[in-house]
Amino acid sequence: MTRERALATAAWALPALVCLLVYWPGLRAWFQQDDFAWLGLTSEIHSQRDFWRTMFEPKAQGTIRPWSERAYFMGLYTLFGMDALPFRVVAFATQLLNLFLLSRFTQRLTGSWWAAGGAVLFWTVNPSLGGPMSWSSSYNQLMCTAFLLGALVLFQKYLETDRGAYYWAQMAVFVMGFGALEMNIVYPALAALVALVSRARKVWSTAPMFAISLAYLVFHSMVAVTPTTGPYAKYYDRSIWKTLWHYMYTSFGSPKLAELDLPLWIWMAGIGLPYVLGAALLCYAVRMAWEHRWVALLPAGWFISLIGPVLPLKDHLTEYYLTMPSIALALWMGMGLEWSWRKGFLARALALVLACCYLVAAAISGRSVAQYNYDRSNRVRQLVLGVARAHELHPGKEILLQGVGTELYWSAVNDQPFRLSGFDDVHLTPGSEEHIEAHPELGDVTAFVFPPGATLRALRKNQAVVYTLDGGKLRNITASYKAVAMSQLKDELARRIDAGNAAYGGQLGAGWEPITKGYRWMGQQSEVYLGGPRKEGEKLYLSGFCAALLVEKGPIHLSVSIDGVVFPPSKIEAPDRAFDLSYPLPPGLAGKDKVTVNLSLDRTYIPPDDGRPLGLVFGSLAIR
Amino acid sequence: MRRLSFRGAAALLTLLLMAAAPGCRRRTTTVETVEEDNAQLASVVQTNDAKASMQLLKGFYDIENGAWRWTKSEFSVTLKAPPEARTKGAVLKLSFSVTEPLLQHTRTTTLSAVANGSVLEPETYTKAGQYTYERKIPAADVQGEAVTIDFRLDKFLTAGQVEERELGLVVASAGLYPQ
Repeated sequence: MTRERALATAAWALPALVCLLVYWPGLRAWFQQDDFAWLGLTSEIHSQRDFWRTMFEPKAQGTIRPWSERAYFMGLYTLFGMDALPFRVVAFATQLLNLFLLSRFTQRLTGSWWAAGGAVLFWTVNPSLGGPMSWSSSYNQLMCTAFLLGALVLFQKYLETDRGAYYWAQMAVFVMGFGALEMNIVYPALAALVALVSRARKVWSTAPMFAISLAYLVFHSMVAVTPTTGPYAKYYDRSIWKTLWHYMYTSFGSPKLAELDLPLWIWMAGIGLPYVLGAALLCYAVRMAWEHRWVALLPAGWFISLIGPVLPLKDHLTEYYLTMPSIALALWMGMGLEWSWRKGFLARALALVLACCYLVAAAISGRSVAQYNYDRSNRVRQLVLGVARAHELHPGKEILLQGVGTELYWSAVNDQPFRLSGFDDVHLTPGSEEHIEAHPELGDVTAFVFPPGATLRALRKNQAVVYTLDGGKLRNITASYKAVAMSQLKDELARRIDAGNAAYGGQLGAGWEPITKGYRWMGQQSEVYLGGPRKEGEKLYLSGFCAALLVEKGPIHLSVSIDGVVFPPSKIEAPDRAFDLSYPLPPGLAGKDKVTVNLSLDRTYIPPDDGRPLGLVFGSLAIR
Repeated sequence: MRRLSFRGAAALLTLLLMAAAPGCRRRTTTVETVEEDNAQLASVVQTNDAKASMQLLKGFYDIENGAWRWTKSEFSVTLKAPPEARTKGAVLKLSFSVTEPLLQHTRTTTLSAVANGSVLEPETYTKAGQYTYERKIPAADVQGEAVTIDFRLDKFLTAGQVEERELGLVVASAGLYPQ
């Protein structure tokens, strides 16, 4: 093996080994949070039309990521079910590919395998990778990086050889990258930077790429909804500068040390390192600019290009947004270290000390992120798979979870992972919402809390079992919970009911069909009893589903009356779609033990193989 | 040179994919549960015990550092009456910490309690530290299987003063002991 070949291999193989060592917990991590929503997509596919809709329909935050989210989750879930290892293996394999591509990209950019190896190593340990390397929902960052780096390496080959095949290949990879992450839109800027520092007269070859990105921007703004409230709302004001500073500072990784339980001097070193390292890199950049070595300024453009699109998201500061921008820091440090090495003992020693400080601080921080996600996902696994076992042991019974805290609720229960196992009769015990911090932007905890009255009735009739997560296992505490519940809970009507849950059967009046797969059809007229509102100004909320056959002959109209007060009919016309309706409650109901809700349709349908006149499918009915 | 590097990359990726091979079957995975439900209501509740969480009726936040829970300004527990309490009464003990930030904002805080409707003598705290609030409960108020105790602080950290939550005491345990 020649020295050159050995260096080329070491430039990515050693960082790959470090990557495995630092993020090893991420390989064994299970699912959590948004993962369950993505895994659940498979259950929405019943036809070819559903498949295409599920693959390409924009999601709530305006995202369209068919490869990195839809195909990744649906494909692996179809093959491996709830086994998380294949998901993690694909993520690790993608990252190893990224390290390989980054080593090639940097070597072509700088002409140095030392700079390439340094850049790859520095990027590998950056804690911004901790999330993507241990949480499947942020896999899109890794896949988008692969598309960007892959396209850039091909573009570099085109710049070196003038061969059109490379140009069109990079164009294809670039266009495919839009299926990984919207961030792919900045690729033309990165390609232009590479052209400017490598072969400036070829910069015009990037013009078609800008046209494609512009076309994507127009297309995206036409089909995707841009949130105006909540964490994904964008603010184009002075907060952008504050957000930019936040990302610049945290990209060094070491500030994360402040969140760990470490000695004070390490904490202070972590806080101070970005300033020292930043000053050193600035000096290096100024010196390079003085010498007209413009390649050393490329990382600045790289960072701004990739962090720019998320700067208006001031309410959604997320570490993994730095996954791709942090390559800029790594490139800078790799080039700076290589340059310093040739500048004598003092420069070499200083650069080495700074590099080691960064590597140690970043690796500790990155490892802590991976370990945190592993630990959290493991608790989620114990809960979700434990509930699956409880469901096997107590078929048909309501499963109530006691003692679910803030972290476990928001990392598991809120995303309804139990539906993946084919059941959703899992709720929290009454009063659980007291122990869980509210995050209205993420969901409504109270929707998962089983009402006191229904809990009492279910316990009395032996229709419910109660579990708590204790020492890594779900423990059945039904008998002891029942003793407390009988003395503490009041037998009152629930203000929110699931029509498809037998425990609420006592609150349904005339006109309802038996439960079918967790849902219930109403007839032409149906009656429901709910606990009265706590205060004036509350509303009645109805959620359900409208079958295509019901609106085959045109829209239907749902009339609602509450304690005799009739509301104007609501028109429902979308076939095979969920509906959500709300009605302001008439005054004078606050504090009432019981209100009666009457639902009436102007038309029903009779399925050919059924014979029953069916209306809308419910769903939940709630007063809040 | 490049071919060898590429081979190396391919070999490593293959190894990783092989690691996934055992998972290449769609299987239903479960985790065993503990089904023997021999737990009884406890007379003494450690707030870090998940099994006893149902006895912390209201006003307690999640377990922190695996050791204790913050409370709100009002919090309640239900405790099993100890043996012979129906004839001799019981002693209530609440182990907790008054924190420095609380007293910085309030100077003093007074803890009062009501056991099964009977008012217990309140106590005022002016220094941060660990305390045990200890009161005798007469036999007349310990006639059922369980006793519900409602605690209340007159001064506390309102939501937003130190953090987003309303904060009262840091409670480690609550218990009813024989007289």
